[in-house]
Amino acid sequence: MNRVLALLMVLLAGSPAAAQPSPFDMSGERPAEERAAPPVEQAPQGRNAEPRPGKNPEVSAPRPPAEPFLRFILPSPTVSLAGEADERAWSIYLTPAQAQAGRELSFAYQNAIVVAPEASVLSVLVNGKLVGEGAVQAADEPHERSYDIPPGLLRTGENEIRFRARHRHRTDCTIQSTYELWTEIASESAFITFEGEEPRALSAIEDIQAVGTNEAGRTQFNIVAPALEQPSRVPVLMRLAQGVALLGRMRSQSVVFSRVMPELDKPGELTILAGTATELQPLLPSLPAEAATGPIAAFAETEPAHAPVLVLSGPDWTAVSVAIETITAATERPTNIPRDIIKTERWRLPQTPLVFSGKRLRFSELGVATTEFSGRRFRTPLQVAIPSDFYADAYGEATILLDAAYTEAVRPGSRIDVYVNGNIATTVALEASAGGILRHLPINVTLRHFRPGANLIELEAVLLTEADKICAPGSAASTEPRFALFDTSEFAMPDFARIARRPDLAATSGSAYPYRGSADPVALFIDRTDADTLSAAGTFIAKLAVAGGRPMQIESIADPLVADGRQALFIGAMPQLPTMVLTQAGIDTVSQASWGSAKDVAQGRNTQTALDEWQTRLKGGGWRSAIIDFESWLKENFDISLNSLRLIPEAEAPFVPPEAATLLVAQSANPAENATWTVVAAPSPALLREGVAAIADTSRWSEVSGHIAVYNPVDDKVSATPARRFSLVETQPPSFWNYRLIAANWLSTNILFYAVLLVSLAVVLGLATAVLLGKLGRRT
Amino acid sequence: MSKAATLAAWVVISLCLVTLITLPVNMQTQLVASVLVVTFMALIKLLDAGGKWRLVALAFGSAMVLRYVYWRTTSTLPPVNQPENFIPGILLYLAEMYSVMMLGLSLFVVAMPLPPRPSRSATPGKYPKVDIFVPSYNEDTDLLANTLAAAKGMDYPAEKLTVWLLDDGGTLQKRNSTNLVDAQRAAARHRELQKLCEDLGVRYLTRDRNEHAKAGNLNNGMLHSNGELIAVFDADHAPARDFLLETVGYFEDDPRLFLVQTPHFFLNPDPLERNLRTFEKMPSENEMFYGIIQRGLDKWNAAFFCGSAAVLRRKALEDTSGFSGLSITEDCETALALHGRGWNSVYVDRPLIAGLQPATFASFIGQRSRWAQGMMQILMFRFPLLKGGLSIPQRLCYMSSTLFWLFPFSRTIFLFAPLFYLFFDLQIFTASGGEFLAYTLVYMLVNLTMQNYLYGSFRWPWISELYEYAQTVHLLPAVVSVLLNPRKPTFKVTAKDESVLESRLSEISRPFFVIFAVLLIATALAIYRVYTEPYKADITLVVGGWNLLNLIMAGCALGVVSERGEKAASRRVKVSRRCEFSFGEQTYPATIENVSAHGARVQVYGLPTDGLLIDTKGHIRFEPYSGNGSFETLPVSIRNIETDGDLTIVGCRYLPEIARHHSLVADLIFANSQQWSEFQRMRRGNPGLVRGTFWFLWLALYQMNRGLIYFFRSVKTEAGASK
Repeated sequence: MNRVLALLMVLLAGSPAAAQPSPFDMSGERPAEERAAPPVEQAPQGRNAEPRPGKNPEVSAPRPPAEPFLRFILPSPTVSLAGEADERAWSIYLTPAQAQAGRELSFAYQNAIVVAPEASVLSVLVNGKLVGEGAVQAADEPHERSYDIPPGLLRTGENEIRFRARHRHRTDCTIQSTYELWTEIASESAFITFEGEEPRALSAIEDIQAVGTNEAGRTQFNIVAPALEQPSRVPVLMRLAQGVALLGRMRSQSVVFSRVMPELDKPGELTILAGTATELQPLLPSLPAEAATGPIAAFAETEPAHAPVLVLSGPDWTAVSVAIETITAATERPTNIPRDIIKTERWRLPQTPLVFSGKRLRFSELGVATTEFSGRRFRTPLQVAIPSDFYADAYGEATILLDAAYTEAVRPGSRIDVYVNGNIATTVALEASAGGILRHLPINVTLRHFRPGANLIELEAVLLTEADKICAPGSAASTEPRFALFDTSEFAMPDFARIARRPDLAATSGSAYPYRGSADPVALFIDRTDADTLSAAGTFIAKLAVAGGRPMQIESIADPLVADGRQALFIGAMPQLPTMVLTQAGIDTVSQASWGSAKDVAQGRNTQTALDEWQTRLKGGGWRSAIIDFESWLKENFDISLNSLRLIPEAEAPFVPPEAATLLVAQSANPAENATWTVVAAPSPALLREGVAAIADTSRWSEVSGHIAVYNPVDDKVSATPARRFSLVETQPPSFWNYRLIAANWLSTNILFYAVLLVSLAVVLGLATAVLLGKLGRRT
Repeated sequence: MSKAATLAAWVVISLCLVTLITLPVNMQTQLVASVLVVTFMALIKLLDAGGKWRLVALAFGSAMVLRYVYWRTTSTLPPVNQPENFIPGILLYLAEMYSVMMLGLSLFVVAMPLPPRPSRSATPGKYPKVDIFVPSYNEDTDLLANTLAAAKGMDYPAEKLTVWLLDDGGTLQKRNSTNLVDAQRAAARHRELQKLCEDLGVRYLTRDRNEHAKAGNLNNGMLHSNGELIAVFDADHAPARDFLLETVGYFEDDPRLFLVQTPHFFLNPDPLERNLRTFEKMPSENEMFYGIIQRGLDKWNAAFFCGSAAVLRRKALEDTSGFSGLSITEDCETALALHGRGWNSVYVDRPLIAGLQPATFASFIGQRSRWAQGMMQILMFRFPLLKGGLSIPQRLCYMSSTLFWLFPFSRTIFLFAPLFYLFFDLQIFTASGGEFLAYTLVYMLVNLTMQNYLYGSFRWPWISELYEYAQTVHLLPAVVSVLLNPRKPTFKVTAKDESVLESRLSEISRPFFVIFAVLLIATALAIYRVYTEPYKADITLVVGGWNLLNLIMAGCALGVVSERGEKAASRRVKVSRRCEFSFGEQTYPATIENVSAHGARVQVYGLPTDGLLIDTKGHIRFEPYSGNGSFETLPVSIRNIETDGDLTIVGCRYLPEIARHHSLVADLIFANSQQWSEFQRMRRGNPGLVRGTFWFLWLALYQMNRGLIYFFRSVKTEAGASK
């Protein structure tokens, strides 16, 4: 307890006087610029721009051993709770010693200035038990909160952490105002403090799962392999990267290879020594003696720091490989049995169920509880995952069978919106003016925004009432429920078309298709076996393994021709990659040398820009403009683009990576069109490592889709180029019903084909009828 | 290719198309496909391509209709756990599917109607012996006299022709009725008709008891006659002179032929035509049946007996022990039975008789109720789909003819469905505004285009809907009652000799005004809701539009039930026949301009007008077609006079004194069947979908207005009367 007090003193001393909780002050409550900005965008911007006087750099600094051991608990740099009611839950893994010694959960939060403290509550639950809650009142600067963890509450293994916020606006009752409500917790401020020194130690292999996160919510595996430059070792090292990544399963994991010992004992990092006993001896004097005689996979402690390191060693490389396999083999699972869940628990509970055709899931199974709600905008998330050969984005519709109720206070004009991965998918009006109970009301949700892997579906009820229109003082805080959602509601997935596309980066990022199920080892081409390139390859392959839920066999190849007929990965700096591979992947080879280095290379792009400009200039009149007007009218009203009315797809010009981008992921078929090639490239090996580490964060990883995806570090975004031409790869045993659905999706994307087919068949039928009628019945 | 191979190929192509149609493609695809298909249909229509291209256009239409059916079935039904939405929702769905099924059946029937047969005259010297049956129940003597005279005057060897008046109004049962007045009336009728028959050279036959109505009467006629062929004419259906010559020849060609049916051509308008004033310019309602459907049925050897204007083979009738009388539509039932026993039928698409149809809306409804109930009885007692002996096309044809009469149910549902939403806020059809556009609107457009394609010059746009709506109001209870109690309905003879002399509301017009008022309120509510509930304006607009369509139909029907008064008791037929008009002692050259059943209009040259008085007697002399080439005289009385220079136009009324005079009248009106065809051809023009729709809108507006004027006038009169 003393420790904590001391820490608090330090925090307080470091903050300026203004950090005192200020009295209620209307003048400073809502700055003009906050009002002007759109509500959704405004909240995060405002937060990031604000100075953080409460932040103490010492919190995130490595701690001298005398400090109590603590573990950061947030899965991402920040956890934000927005709207009138929100919660986030995830789990952290604790070793037996940690479960015993966890004492206190601390965090600092800040909230929007418009949140009314008297009506707003922030609660923290651990393993379903409330450990503490308090008013939301940190409008000016982050407030610290610490709650004791009751003894016995933490357990070995998975522990659920849940933050729950209830917000009410100080003055406003509009729907718009609910977008201004938020509470944010920064990763560096949220941790569990442990008592004693034992929790620091890792002893069993399972303890790899307790790797945790650093102050930025990231996880890093440092693999120290003194002889990493030997290409023959690459496949085994890649197996190791996959094994630890599959055990860690954190939201944002990267692998860093090095020859020398990194700085130890940093939170969210695990150092692994992989090498023969002779190689490791200089790095780790305390190397267990058994390493000289046989394979060993165990935790050891470094001498001065007492930091745990995982040692995988043996007398020779074969023995090291065996040691590595003991870890990776534990994560192995068969390819032919589909997973029923996608493990997302480290950043979002519950686990995400994988839904196949005709599956119905109750909301209770999806982690949505029966809820009564008294505010204006109710939002609840649920996650479902779909397989990589999902091919129903153009025609399909899932159904939510909603059980809900609303009181007569809810006025017509209220509605329920459903969002899929952040895109609005459907709107249903709540019409009855005398309230109503909805029993399995079917709400069709378009599958257009679904992608392989986990998908976030959000159900939002927008509730308008007379009271809110008047907005009498204090009425915003009313706790009279006006809406209830019941956990008997269901999500129903219809039969959907199943066939894989090539290329389809979304299937690769979503569930490592086609690498996950590859019968042959995946061919890996690395231009140079240096630490940066290896780290990039390790991070990428480890991420693939987590997406696919199992480790893959890797084989190094030195020549792209060897890869023919095999699923292959090409990872390296752009200038070093074989031109043939780039051409195959649809990348402009002229940019191979120039990307990231020169300034005046954009000749090719200028043509496009100039053409666009000319097109805009010519828009003034004539039939051209009529076509453009018609196209925009079509797009606006019916969501039909002239592009979808083509009979022959537009030719794809070679892709020129944008100058600002630092990483490119491209996918295509191999020249023989019987396997998938994925190219991961950057201007330089260092940018490659950084870029892959950046996209390994789940939020960016899920943006990797289409034919080519590029990462731009400036705005920290992944942008994808869709695949215009692709081939279909069968994944299911042939069946008429599947083919029918595949045809439905294909024809829904190639609209004109359907129309032409229909017309031609009708013409044929008409003529056939004429012939038939000529033969049947009386003729004259 | 053999028949079977062609059929197999056709089935395979259809299956491919159905597979394509039932792909769950998205709305955008549907929209683009429908635009393309509708464009093609319009192109084929504009180019007026017939033959194969007509079938291609129908295939286009069917494809879009099936797309609608697929979408409607898979995406629009309300959830079962909302019974308040589901029950009306499923009713509406069933009504729509019924309409689609009827469209499918009629497509089958009229896919390729037989072209009108070339004339097949009877071979001279091989004329079979024919009995002409004119069954009568309560028709008056004048009417019967015309018909019998026309029948007797047919161009056929006299020794081979026997005309029978089968009188059911003067049976022993009637003459011995316990009701004294009825009994006296029946006895008088018995005497009068016996005398008429004697004068005309026609056989009079009556029986003891009125058993099995018309069928029983005809069977009684069969018992007393022995001709090889039997021709049946309703009491008001007078044959043209060439009727027998144009029909009996077919019996020579096919020994298994049991029926030659000819169209019913009417000299007077039905109440809709009269009240809407469309008789002269628009094809009659029954022309769709006789002009297209019977020809379509004929292709499948399923043309059926329509009770009159037909020749039947005695041997065939004896095969089924005469005319069947289980249902009250003995005609269709008899044909069904004979088709089931392997006999064939033929339809001759040329009007060879002219008749009268009910003049008032009430008797029109009475006639239709009988047809509807009778067809329902056939559906229930003889279920044609499973009846043995019929070919598959015949089964489908009879199903089409009988199931048609279920339309009051679907019409009623279409009428009330929008009200569920507008009044009670029920969602019985779950779809967005965009989907309505891409599916429902396209379906309606395609459906109308197909109807126009199939029946274009025989039925103008929206007229079918109007007829169905106008009948539905009173037919629904009739159909429900026969479904509940199939044996209850009895044969009622339709009154055709009424006339409307004064403009008035029909005695059964009240429900039409009530429905109109309800729909008007619903329309107002729809407009109100578009403004007060903007968040669902798209749905309200769609439903409101539908309701508006119903309102237009109901408005037009107000005109239908507002009976226009007419001066002339019966319709005039244009003839142009030289004659002589004699008045007093003088004879003047003249031309007969037009004739009706009661009188003629004559242009006389050089007639001095000074001595001419109304109700004075004159004579028309002309050469009858049926005579021996000499002029004959018909006495008339002068009703009105117009002068136009040297020409004097005289309206006169026949004063038949002896039987021969009736023959002369019949000769004037009925002798020349060519003129009826001319008249029909004149009316057969296809205004097209767009022009037809605008015309109908105008008509509806005008008739609604007229209906409301009649209504307020009648309210005033009633108010005045009660004072």
